[in-house]
Amino acid sequence: MPAGVQLRITATSFLLPGDAAWDELARTHTLDFGTFGDWPGALLSSSGTALLWVVVLEDLVTPEAVEGSPEFAELLHPLLTVLKKRLENAPEAHTAVAWLAWRPDSPIRSVRTQRFWKRLGEALATSLRQMAALHPSLLLLDLDELFARPGMDACLDPRNWYAVRCRFSRRGIAETARATAALLSRAAAAPRKLMVLDCDNTLWGGIVGEVGLAGLALGQDGVGRAFSDFQRSILRLTHEGLLLSLCSKNNEVDVWKVFDEHPSMVLRRSDIIAWRINWRNKADNVMELAHDLDLGLDAVVFVDDNPLEREQMRRYLPQVLTPEMPVEVFAWPWLIDALNDAATFQVTTEDRRKTEQYRSRSGFLAQRGSARDEIEFLRTIELQPDAVSISAGTVSRAAQLCAKTNQFNLRTIRHTEGALLELASRPGTCAFLMQLSDRFGDHGLTGLAIAVSSESQKSAFLDTFLLSCRVLGRHAEAWMLQTLVTSLRAKGVEWLIAEFRETGRNSVARDFLAGHGFVRLCDIPEKPRQLLCREAKGFWAAGEAFAARLDSIVVPYMELFHYARTAAD
Amino acid sequence: MLEPPLTSLLRRHFPTAKFDENDSTLAAGSFPEWDSLSHFSFLLSVEETYGVRFGLGEISELKSLAAIRQALDGKAGRDA
Repeated sequence: MPAGVQLRITATSFLLPGDAAWDELARTHTLDFGTFGDWPGALLSSSGTALLWVVVLEDLVTPEAVEGSPEFAELLHPLLTVLKKRLENAPEAHTAVAWLAWRPDSPIRSVRTQRFWKRLGEALATSLRQMAALHPSLLLLDLDELFARPGMDACLDPRNWYAVRCRFSRRGIAETARATAALLSRAAAAPRKLMVLDCDNTLWGGIVGEVGLAGLALGQDGVGRAFSDFQRSILRLTHEGLLLSLCSKNNEVDVWKVFDEHPSMVLRRSDIIAWRINWRNKADNVMELAHDLDLGLDAVVFVDDNPLEREQMRRYLPQVLTPEMPVEVFAWPWLIDALNDAATFQVTTEDRRKTEQYRSRSGFLAQRGSARDEIEFLRTIELQPDAVSISAGTVSRAAQLCAKTNQFNLRTIRHTEGALLELASRPGTCAFLMQLSDRFGDHGLTGLAIAVSSESQKSAFLDTFLLSCRVLGRHAEAWMLQTLVTSLRAKGVEWLIAEFRETGRNSVARDFLAGHGFVRLCDIPEKPRQLLCREAKGFWAAGEAFAARLDSIVVPYMELFHYARTAAD
Repeated sequence: MLEPPLTSLLRRHFPTAKFDENDSTLAAGSFPEWDSLSHFSFLLSVEETYGVRFGLGEISELKSLAAIRQALDGKAGRDA
């Protein structure tokens, strides 16, 4: 059903009124094509309604006139005069001018002299842009540029010209209709003002918490160069008034270290107006960022390489624009350059100063959001963890996880392959790798848990408990713990003793123990405590000690794993 | 190949028009909605649907469903 907004369409050539090619524009506008050929009449009479004027220069200049090397100003004068009248008569209504200057010609033959049509097109474009600077209601659509991507052969059809006086193919009309719809809707709406950016694998390649500053792909050649160019595209938008903020599941120090110290960073700390660098869900963070900056969610663009985060954002904050990111980083700058929603038609000094204004706004509120929606979301993504034993075939991955995992890692012991095989083979040890898949794909072996039995077999010590940051935010650690608990209880073990060793990078693991049924050793009644201390002697170093009674521990979040196959035995 | 018959394409093109799909004489002008302008759009849809392209001469000759069907058969024969 066509919307109420009237759009008058007029052109120098026939445009197939009523054809399916116009559908995209007809969804939002009632199209009125008037009489074919009467563009001066349409421009001068329909002052109350928005208007699209399609100009094919070839329609306006006879072949004879071209032969006589005419003055451009003279050729364009009648056109521009009528347009000027229209802009004066209808300053409130939008006037979109779409023009085509391109003609099939040989670049070889015109190697020395620039082609007539190209020069004429440039002269028209210059005049139109001058007019647009004076008349905000004038919207320009360069069809030569619009058709460049699909190609002129696909968009123009000389047969249609000879058959019905239409220069375009259906594709050409559909492209024009789609671009006009985008142009009119953009002109009517305010642009997106705030871009919320993820960091790892979005602004740079790699995870800074894992590979460190030197291991990031940024700058230089290849993929690192693509990340720099992506940053450059973003920076360009800030010159038009776009504000930048960060939302990253990361340690804050690590992120700022990249901003402050990486020589190839294009974006600087001073370009970032607000940030939420924490392990909470991103929808809550984005809501807070928008609130702090006094912006509506419909002013926000969310850019993240992680499909899970994008899906979550679209689901919980549909007002936020979350563009789909192509798999290849080199396509991202194009995505940003083509982000119509962030386009500002008039860049003012005000826009350029906006970052400063926002930064000086006092007191960002640190309001805590809730994560209740997150659980609801995770229920739907079909989390499917599986326990895989440590064997000759998997031990190298286990050692790699020990070596590389810095964030969710309780003790950060860098076991070698030999040490891992030895630990796993001890009687009473419960050890497994977690393989995790969900609707977003198979994440592979991304978790490792090793509990070593004490001499008395009454307690076990959590030697290693780690989770790759690739799968953080899914509560897979809860499933790993439950799997350990089930298996240890079957062996008659009564207590699980754990240690958290602070490394400066593993703060995400700090809250895990207390939040999953463990209590600090010092809060345990004296009698079992003494026993536990004896049992665990020789295990722990200088960390904080915790313990959990296996017959009473209740591990949270287990409702998320109804797709899990079996617990390890 | 499983393409929709021409008559159902015509129905899709003129969803509200009154005509008998079994009428073998259906042609441009058979009902008010099928004017020369919408006929050209219909031919473009035929091209898209059947993956063919009509020459300028064909465009001016193909006025009836029967003629279009014959032209399509001819093109299919040539391709085979």
